[in-house]
Amino acid sequence: MTDTSGTPLLVVDDVAVHFGGVKAVDGISFEIAEGSITGIIGPNGSGKSTLIAALTRFVPLTRGALTFDGVDLHRLRASDIARHGIARTFQTVRLLPDLTVEENVRLGADVSKDRRGAPERVASALEATGLTEVRRSYPGELSYGTQRRVEIARAVAMAPRLLLLDEPTAGMNQGERTEITGLMKQLSADGLTQLLVEHDVQMMLDACDHLVAMAAGRLITNGNPADVVRHPGVREAYLGRKWGADARA
Amino acid sequence: MNAFYDGHVVIIQATFVGILLALSIQVPLRLGVFSFAGAGFYGIGAYVGGNVVIRADLQAVPAIACGAVAAAAVGLVLGLVLQRLNGLYLAMATVAFDLMIGVVAVNGGEWTGGPTGLYGILTDLTLPIILVVVGVFLVAAELSERGRAHRRIEAVREDPELAASMGIRVGAYRVVGFVVSGLAGGAAGAMNVMTRTTIGPADVGFGLVILALTMIIVGGALSWKGAVAGAILFTWLPQVLTFVGEWQELVYGCVVLLAGIFLPRGLYGLWVDTRRRLAARRRPPALSEQAHQDVPQEMTS
Repeated sequence: MTDTSGTPLLVVDDVAVHFGGVKAVDGISFEIAEGSITGIIGPNGSGKSTLIAALTRFVPLTRGALTFDGVDLHRLRASDIARHGIARTFQTVRLLPDLTVEENVRLGADVSKDRRGAPERVASALEATGLTEVRRSYPGELSYGTQRRVEIARAVAMAPRLLLLDEPTAGMNQGERTEITGLMKQLSADGLTQLLVEHDVQMMLDACDHLVAMAAGRLITNGNPADVVRHPGVREAYLGRKWGADARA
Repeated sequence: MNAFYDGHVVIIQATFVGILLALSIQVPLRLGVFSFAGAGFYGIGAYVGGNVVIRADLQAVPAIACGAVAAAAVGLVLGLVLQRLNGLYLAMATVAFDLMIGVVAVNGGEWTGGPTGLYGILTDLTLPIILVVVGVFLVAAELSERGRAHRRIEAVREDPELAASMGIRVGAYRVVGFVVSGLAGGAAGAMNVMTRTTIGPADVGFGLVILALTMIIVGGALSWKGAVAGAILFTWLPQVLTFVGEWQELVYGCVVLLAGIFLPRGLYGLWVDTRRRLAARRRPPALSEQAHQDVPQEMTS
């Protein structure tokens, strides 16, 4: 099915999510190895975010199975997904305006049963994301890029086994993108498995061990990032049939 | 002081009952639940409290407990039945519930005294008992505004989807909101019937929703401190405004209108926002933030 090495932490098997006649995701299969960074690329409307929503039980599956560490995710409630070790960030910044940065991150640390370790997890997540200095600020006082990092810190404080990042660098400048890529690599070095949805192909090449390409809800190809971006189907999906054909030539 | 207390005992008691009534509407709102069922719970507490005093000869504390528990039980059922409703639809359903309580009050026969209501509800209720009951609710409210409970309540209200992704069972929190609203509203109704020794359909009408909403909109919807400020203001305002005579209603309306325009987060919100602004001004700008100032501001919207 895939060329990932190691034990699969997540198995996406023939997953389909249909909204009436719209096939947002239609028969996607791939695996994610523990400790890896897997990226999902594809043009707008290709079903990337819907797949993330299905993984966190925000939308029901029409068909297929999502198995995380042997657990069928669609037997769980949305609120139980976090307790099983899956954390996520959202496409748009979703911070609580009346909580400080530290409190927002603490919300993530609260998920674990280990209450005593929560302050330490918060401090470590703030440190890793470079937010210690602004921990007492409110989200409204921070720049967009910093708010994005607070979102990531909150997810990291959950001490997850799988981190789902939905366009984490959207709206960021190049410097901030590089920072986030470095942060992801650091988290990966610490053993955190990540699934990343992004439009920035260069960032995906820099950050990911494995790439999944989608278009119109279907899988084009998946595997080594450099091979995936060279795949004619991927070029066609991004550049159109004419340019894709030219690229093949 | 004693002369003041003797001369104002009714309004002092009404202030504390008003605090609980305001809390019964505020608790669900803090959870993002547009429920006005607090007024209905108040009616249930009043009639149950009145009945147990008249028929079972109970004294104040057990009668208040009966009123609060009965209203909380109805709150539990209502919370479960209305779990899938949101926003205006939920608000309408709870207003319908309040109107149903009014209809039951008129047509309840000997249990409600019909259109004339129940009379002679005499108990050993004193101001210290009222203070203890209100105090218990305020302590519980204060605890819910600290630490983990506070963070989770904020998440449930501001972003239920985010809350679910943080492992929070949003539905359970909403149902608990209905139950606590029932407890507060029921206790308020039961204490009110005992301070006045009588209850009738006119006392449990839709006007209670307006009164409680006014209290928490002007006082502040996100903290018990706002409910207390609003309850004090709107229980005593008519007293203070007696000198304007027939213009009282107009002045009262203007106060609410001006508060709505200039204090969208209420008096408590004004205090919180001012304190936050001053704290931000005192903080030196973070170096990491200065480095990010080149990010287009429109991205923050």
